[in-house]
Amino acid sequence: MNIIETRNLTKTYRRVVKGEGLRGSIRGLVKREYESKEAVKNLNLRVEEGEFVGLIGPNGAGKTTLTKMLTGIIAPTSGEISVMGFYPNDLKNDFKRQYAIVMGQKSQLFFELTANDTLRLFKEIYGLSEREFRETKAYFAELFGVEELLDVQVRTLSLGERMKMELMAALLHNPRILFLDEPTIGLDAIASRQIRKFLWEINRKKGTTILLTSHYMEDIRALCDRCIVINHGTGIYDGSTETLFEKYQRDRQITVSFRQPTGEIPLPEGAVLKEEGPYRKSIRVPKEKSGELLQRLMEYHPGDLTVEEDEIGRVVERIYAEG
Amino acid sequence: MRKYREVMRVYLKAQLAWRADVVFSMIFTVSKILFAWLLWGMIFRERDLVADLTFHGMLSYYIVSSFLSQLEMAGGISGEISARIRNGTLSNYMVLPVNMEGYFTAMEAGVVLFYLSFDLLAAAVWVFVFRIRFVFAHSGTALICGLLMAVMGLFFMVQLNFFLGILTLKYEEISTFLMIKDNLAALVTGSLVPLSLFPEGLVAVMRLLPFYYVTYLPSMLLIGRCEDEAARGLLVLGGWCVLMQGVILATWRKYRTKYDGVGI
Repeated sequence: MNIIETRNLTKTYRRVVKGEGLRGSIRGLVKREYESKEAVKNLNLRVEEGEFVGLIGPNGAGKTTLTKMLTGIIAPTSGEISVMGFYPNDLKNDFKRQYAIVMGQKSQLFFELTANDTLRLFKEIYGLSEREFRETKAYFAELFGVEELLDVQVRTLSLGERMKMELMAALLHNPRILFLDEPTIGLDAIASRQIRKFLWEINRKKGTTILLTSHYMEDIRALCDRCIVINHGTGIYDGSTETLFEKYQRDRQITVSFRQPTGEIPLPEGAVLKEEGPYRKSIRVPKEKSGELLQRLMEYHPGDLTVEEDEIGRVVERIYAEG
Repeated sequence: MRKYREVMRVYLKAQLAWRADVVFSMIFTVSKILFAWLLWGMIFRERDLVADLTFHGMLSYYIVSSFLSQLEMAGGISGEISARIRNGTLSNYMVLPVNMEGYFTAMEAGVVLFYLSFDLLAAAVWVFVFRIRFVFAHSGTALICGLLMAVMGLFFMVQLNFFLGILTLKYEEISTFLMIKDNLAALVTGSLVPLSLFPEGLVAVMRLLPFYYVTYLPSMLLIGRCEDEAARGLLVLGGWCVLMQGVILATWRKYRTKYDGVGI
């Protein structure tokens, strides 16, 4: 059963444009000029209950606008949209009780109070019984390992701890859909891994449908069976995450630092030197040749070495180029 | 109602988190009363009555009216809504299953409750220290009407500020509206000078506006004056509250779709 469905969904923003300098400002005061920008164009989307879907795309692709339309925050310009059978922008309380949204850069917590204070507020806002509240809170506090932090002033928590509290507050009412917008932004590797683990458990154990927007390919790869790539407001890929990575993420970026000045290094076929210095080199290499390159690099006794996957921008470029 | 009660409690708790703010708020209340005592003491040295009020009647008016105007802090609501519309964080409230106006009213009630407790304490201490013979209304009806009107007045100011805040959806910048509202309210509420010092004709016009009933009339009713205006005051203020509610609903419905939640 489709829990989210959109047909030809479009959102066009109107924004003010103004000429340069004081003259432009004065002209803008007398005659305001606008331009239209289609943030989302004729997007068709179907998500089934219980799915964990990744929404990826470069900056300005339309991911956040889509999330805002799905949660009712903004109204679409045209097209059809149905989330759990509701038209989101009606903002009906019955609708809002069934979903939650967590935004990595926006907080629902009261910074001067404790997480317990915010959770108690959410208990009343979502009309939970005392028993239900205590049980759910205990479950998530144990899952996230934050039992001892619930009575600490939120502003004194670390970013990772705060994100766990945000997730707790969002999940307290057991929403059917969880919208996540960059939940691991700014978090270190350990905290990101923990958050990913919790999200995976919530999806598997509670059956919560999750729509995850992230810049981090690692988030998507670790969590989502299916992913949707958006660019310029249009869906350009909708399918298995594994296929996407297999087919379009072909290179690795290897950055290596040396303790001693190092000259030219013979590169395997297809590898490209992106950055070169006596102490540091950055090489893009086809993933099937990355092992060979690593072996060669080891002969130079590197001080440090990082291997990164292709960033989303390159994946999008390839999808476009190859259709 | 329970959710709004909890919103009120959360904002009350949030006020209590800042100890310095509590202390400065009390000092501010105390200095206002001290200043009024000195000022009116000098004026009343040469006369017994000013605008038909005795020295103690004037101080009682000043304490009550400054107390009520200090409680009227709804100005923060318009500023907060406006800022949140512009920076995109109004969505924090939009996604919650609450009535947004109810949420802001409860928020204001929590803040008011905090200041009410501490200001009441500070005022009581100073009434005792300066031996102010506090003039209270003798009639129960006047007291009830005064209290009811004070509550309705605070609610109206919440409505007005909520309305001005959501006008950001249409005009993007509302600081001029806020400036006009603040200046008009300061003049018409009599929070600085009793309205009985103004010409009758001007006061008659002011009586058609809601601001007259926000601080001035409740203060006068509580010190036992203007009892004959109580019923009309409740009616006019009630009318303004109903009218403002209609305007809020229409404005929200019309302009809500203009919200673009920049940056979510």
